[in-house]
Amino acid sequence: MKQWQSILLYCGAAYLILLLGPIAGLDIPRIVGEIAKSPEVLIQQLLVGLVNGAIIAIIALGYTLVYGIIELINFAHGDLYMLGAFASLSMVGMFNVQDGSPLQAGLLPMLAALVVSSVFCAGLNMLAERYAYRPLRNAPRLAPLISAIGVSFIFINVGLFWGGLRILFPIMGANAAAPKSFPDLLPRIDILKALGIQTSITFTTKDLIVLVVAIVLMVGLNLFVNYTKPGKAMRATAQNRDAARIMGINVNQIIALTFLIGGALAGAAGLLVGLYNNTVVFTMGFTAGLRAFTAAVLGGIGNIVGAMLGGVLIGVLSALSDQYLSSRWTNAWVFAVLVIILAFRPGGLLGENVQEKV
Amino acid sequence: MLQMIRVGGGLGVIAALTVLIFGGWSSAVIGWLLGAGAGLIACQGKRVSTLLGGALLGSRVGFTLGGWILVAALLEGFLLRRISGQPAVPLLQPWLAGLLGLGLAGLSGTVMGALQSLGQRIWATRGLLAIGLLLFPLVDRWAATKWTAAVIQMMIFIMLALGLNIVVGFAGLLDLGYAAFFAIGAYTTGFLSSSQLGIQGNFWLVIWASAAVAALFGVILGAPTLRLRGDYLAIVTLGFGEIIPVVFRNLTSIKIYEPISSLVATIANRPELALCLVGCVKPLNLTGGEAGINPIGRPYLPGIGEFQPTNDLPWYYLILVLLVLAYFIIGRLRDSRLGRAWTAIREDELAASAMGINLVKTKLLAFAMGATFSGFAGAFYAAYISAIFPSVFDFSVSVIILCMVILGGLGNMTGVILGGIIIMAADRLYLPQLAQVLKGILTTSVFPGVANPQLRDFLATSVDPIQMRLLLFGLTLVIMMIVRPEGLVPDAVHQAELHQVEAELLPQEVKSV
Repeated sequence: MKQWQSILLYCGAAYLILLLGPIAGLDIPRIVGEIAKSPEVLIQQLLVGLVNGAIIAIIALGYTLVYGIIELINFAHGDLYMLGAFASLSMVGMFNVQDGSPLQAGLLPMLAALVVSSVFCAGLNMLAERYAYRPLRNAPRLAPLISAIGVSFIFINVGLFWGGLRILFPIMGANAAAPKSFPDLLPRIDILKALGIQTSITFTTKDLIVLVVAIVLMVGLNLFVNYTKPGKAMRATAQNRDAARIMGINVNQIIALTFLIGGALAGAAGLLVGLYNNTVVFTMGFTAGLRAFTAAVLGGIGNIVGAMLGGVLIGVLSALSDQYLSSRWTNAWVFAVLVIILAFRPGGLLGENVQEKV
Repeated sequence: MLQMIRVGGGLGVIAALTVLIFGGWSSAVIGWLLGAGAGLIACQGKRVSTLLGGALLGSRVGFTLGGWILVAALLEGFLLRRISGQPAVPLLQPWLAGLLGLGLAGLSGTVMGALQSLGQRIWATRGLLAIGLLLFPLVDRWAATKWTAAVIQMMIFIMLALGLNIVVGFAGLLDLGYAAFFAIGAYTTGFLSSSQLGIQGNFWLVIWASAAVAALFGVILGAPTLRLRGDYLAIVTLGFGEIIPVVFRNLTSIKIYEPISSLVATIANRPELALCLVGCVKPLNLTGGEAGINPIGRPYLPGIGEFQPTNDLPWYYLILVLLVLAYFIIGRLRDSRLGRAWTAIREDELAASAMGINLVKTKLLAFAMGATFSGFAGAFYAAYISAIFPSVFDFSVSVIILCMVILGGLGNMTGVILGGIIIMAADRLYLPQLAQVLKGILTTSVFPGVANPQLRDFLATSVDPIQMRLLLFGLTLVIMMIVRPEGLVPDAVHQAELHQVEAELLPQEVKSV
């Protein structure tokens, strides 16, 4: 009897989705038709989603690292990444390189921007930790969260100011709030065409570079956390701060290190997005941060592999939604999937469902 | 004595700032309001036995405050007006304004202090507060300070904050998407009293419908979150807060076919078989997209006629009545069996459920009750602005409401109201006015001395408090959390918890050293 009830419930839900889905672009016959007509578009969108997802995953790692160690949703992380993009843009602007200049000319500015942006974001993140989160470590859960929202607002405003610093950085342009164009420095050679494969799918070296950098960063982080001594200390601190302290781990230092790594990743992601999308705007941190955070939660927050998986999933999902559902509804679809997954797996995809202790 | 200086000085700075940037007769209004507040605070927590003692206490802080006002009024009249390029006023006016402010501050402080000595001091305070609230728009009109419109907005947000306080403060469920319910309330009013769907409902009925619909959505959106805890709950509510504006933004051309029949139609390749349900002739434009719904019907009362946008008075009294009603109902709810169940859930969910509290019902009721009040606020907002757009209800609104709750004191209704007043006053009153004054100073006094056009350009764009709005807001949040995480007027239980945490931690820290 109970079984029948649940089957009926699922049928009703499916009917409702079929009935109301087309409003938000979920018109299944049309989608099936489009995919059958040109499967290449599907593959193309999967690739786009993969590259975007890799960038989201890098940002998501910052969320998940911090959450794993002090159980704080670091709301400011998305805006930190935005500041990273601004730092990269300022650095690249100093070298005075043009759009589409040869790789040799662009390499030095890019490397300099990577270093500056990573160091800048890491320092900023550590500062925020020292002055905005550390004093609240023993406060109720809500206090550091609100503090992080405050830091996020401060960062957004700093981004707005930075955009108006035309005196120092001419590349910022006339309007402080307007999107700024980032020089297109990565080579754009179609790999598949160069290999002689006849297809409409494009996969350029630009995509490849972003993907490779993202993978290198993620693998490096994974190795660091799992196979080095500071990584071990990080895991110990995450598990039990007091026990770690008893074992002689300097907990404050390890937490600061976590913020450093997260910040450096955000800085790198800022540069990557600047190079990939070629536009930077001070509000981009909020949307990207929200997606990255969703990715981290989707994968099971606190879990590094989960954050990568979640990032790629969110990237692919939004690319597919842009193509097949409706780009206007993409944000709603992303969050709807999050809500549905959390409703069935309250700990995220790879997260453990911790049994509550009494 | 020390407290006297603190109260008189702390409020004095606010009063002086107000007089400085607003000028005119604002000295009288702010002296009247803050004088009463200072008198109340000065007698707080003290046993005031005689009428004279209270009056003395109150008059001292009142006149300290008044001194600040007088100095500020003179500064404004003789110095600031000149350097900010505003037209000069007769020599006597600053003196008049300052002395009036001084007198009113002292007088209202004295009266408030004296009232505190009465046996029923809470009723005396409430009575005075009621008189103040009723008189405020009239005084505002007389003094030409033009604050009523901002105060109406303030009251809308206080109502929202009170509603959110039920969810976050009473039941301990962190909701980061509360603006969604505000939006649902506002849009329901939009649908039911505009030409969008061709329904011109009566506002006095529509407002109840909006609250009911918002409450219904509180239950619908609350249901998937029941199993989630802490941060996961926060992120799902944030998700809903993001989805709802997207939905309202995009419901512009709805066309619904019955799915089974349309599947048959596709397979049989006979499109006429598909059963059309909604928007068959012309796709239904439900929400108007980015342009929103405009105009929305206004309330009508016999004797007053239809409420006009040019006349703030009826709007002010309407939202005042709604707010008082909400305050009363929420206060009763808090002390009811349900309210105590919310507190129990907040303190320990597991223990609460072991004591026989139905978690599902209690949590859903918290979401529903919280959403109800935002439904009222949304309905009023839609009618007041007479137009709604999806961009009004984004994440920052949810965060601002949450900040009011936390700044004032989680769970404490007086605190939440205070938090709402502070944030909205800073956001809607002080910052725009300050921006104007600073701009005046820049153009009349600074720019003639700056030769470099680039530097002038930079100054003009960066010395703008509106642009620094987020920075100031963020700094306030961070500093507030570090200095006083329990809020300005903390809830007794919350504060006890905080101190308990400290007391538990202290020995550990000592040991680890």
